[in-house]
Amino acid sequence: MIRKLLLSLTALAVLASACGSSNTPAAPKGTIVVGGFGFPESSILAQLYGQELAHDGYTITYKLNLGPREVVAPAIKTGQIDAYPGYAATDLEYYNNKAGEATGDPVATTAKLNSYLQPLGLVALTPSAAVDQNAFAVTKETAAKYNLVKLSDLAAVAGQLTMGAGPECLTRPYCIPGLDKTYGIKFKAFKPLDTDGPLTRAAFKNGSIQVGLVFSSDGDLNALGLVVLQDDKHLEAADNVVPIIRTAVASANVKALLNKVDAALTTADLVNMNSQIAIQHMDPDVIAKNYLTAHNYFA
Amino acid sequence: MTFLMQCARWLTDPAHWQGPDGIPIRLAQHVQLSAEAVALGALIALPIGILLGHFGRFGNLAINISNVGRAIPSFAILVIAFQAFGLGDTPIILALTALAIPPMVTNSYVALREVDADIKEAARGMGYRELAQLVRVELPLAVPLIMAGIRTSAVQVVATATLAAIVAGGGLGRYIVDGFATQIYTKVFAGALLVALLALATELSLAALQRALTPRGLRSLNAPASRRATSFKTA
Repeated sequence: MIRKLLLSLTALAVLASACGSSNTPAAPKGTIVVGGFGFPESSILAQLYGQELAHDGYTITYKLNLGPREVVAPAIKTGQIDAYPGYAATDLEYYNNKAGEATGDPVATTAKLNSYLQPLGLVALTPSAAVDQNAFAVTKETAAKYNLVKLSDLAAVAGQLTMGAGPECLTRPYCIPGLDKTYGIKFKAFKPLDTDGPLTRAAFKNGSIQVGLVFSSDGDLNALGLVVLQDDKHLEAADNVVPIIRTAVASANVKALLNKVDAALTTADLVNMNSQIAIQHMDPDVIAKNYLTAHNYFA
Repeated sequence: MTFLMQCARWLTDPAHWQGPDGIPIRLAQHVQLSAEAVALGALIALPIGILLGHFGRFGNLAINISNVGRAIPSFAILVIAFQAFGLGDTPIILALTALAIPPMVTNSYVALREVDADIKEAARGMGYRELAQLVRVELPLAVPLIMAGIRTSAVQVVATATLAAIVAGGGLGRYIVDGFATQIYTKVFAGALLVALLALATELSLAALQRALTPRGLRSLNAPASRRATSFKTA
């Protein structure tokens, strides 16, 4: 009787340990706080990084939807967060105080970015092939009416059109000032809305804007009847996804894990995951988990 | 100190006093939004408060409902109304009206309840009918408290109308939202200062209106009763 009990107990223990070794994450390795900007794609990327690190045994705290870079950058400088999914060119132009050094080359742009990050105790890892640039969209009707395909087509008719974007667009080199400088586009009026959010979509819908700032990786533009105008004079620089982390937590292992996620990620993946939020209303953590599972990160 | 100087410079810069984003236009939008919301709120709240106070029934129910209404954040109403009505002034008017109603219901109810029972009896004895008694005897006596409610509402609405900028509306809140987005904090501060000044001006002008509307016989008795009731059941 006792032998039987002991046997079954041993069997249970073996079973339990077997389960433990095969599927649960490794031993705890320390805590990493992952932050993100106030738009859904940033939450998805933060979850991709966070879940990959968590699987390897790190304890992850998420601080998502923090807001614009004006909130996120001070948070990582002061160590309130340890990492966030950055965008090479826009981050460079933030940390260099709009010096205009970003180019279309993601590697050079990231190298330049790192020269500004290093004194702050921060580092940008290898940029992904996935790009999310500012893009300028019009409705299909507007495109047909004025025969618009490229941004340079816009210059002649912009005087009749109202442009909508977040208020910061007025001062950002890749927004209103850039459109003017590179293309000579001067709009009739500017309507302060949000950055590629519900206000911009509502304003397109009720016709209070004809041109709006969106992101090239948006998943719902086609469904909304919007078309992106080609950036034929290359105003936008290399806004490739790149994790920015504090040097203090940037161990070789952490870098390797994050670079592995970035190396496989494509712009098409971003569009696909963004559409799951915009159209199917799924949660960022679920989308990230599905992606990582489907691409065998948890195997 | 330099920051305050910069704010003063921002406020006195002629460029900020013209065009569609200039102070006069933003001020006019702010006043218009606030006035519409307070007027709409008064249209709903005053009849309810006055009738319940006059008949002395269901008062606690009405006051409790309006107090619960006060607990719902204006921001949430704004966001939900935006989902329903899309871009435009409707969501902000709805949110501000909901904010304006409770103090006016509570104050006008208390105002009518506090009319001396002897006076009502005397009015009845002199042959006043129900409506005449309400309009010619009770309402004039209730004016100070009713006006105090409108004042409280109006000041809250003026301060809260800054939220309009969050859903792409106009008004002085634009300076706060746009200043934050572009890291021009002098603009944020100047915007907040303008809102505070407007709220103060609202308070003072409504106080003057209240004095003008108060029957002469009551002015000598003036403030204590209204203050007592204001602290009794308004924010």
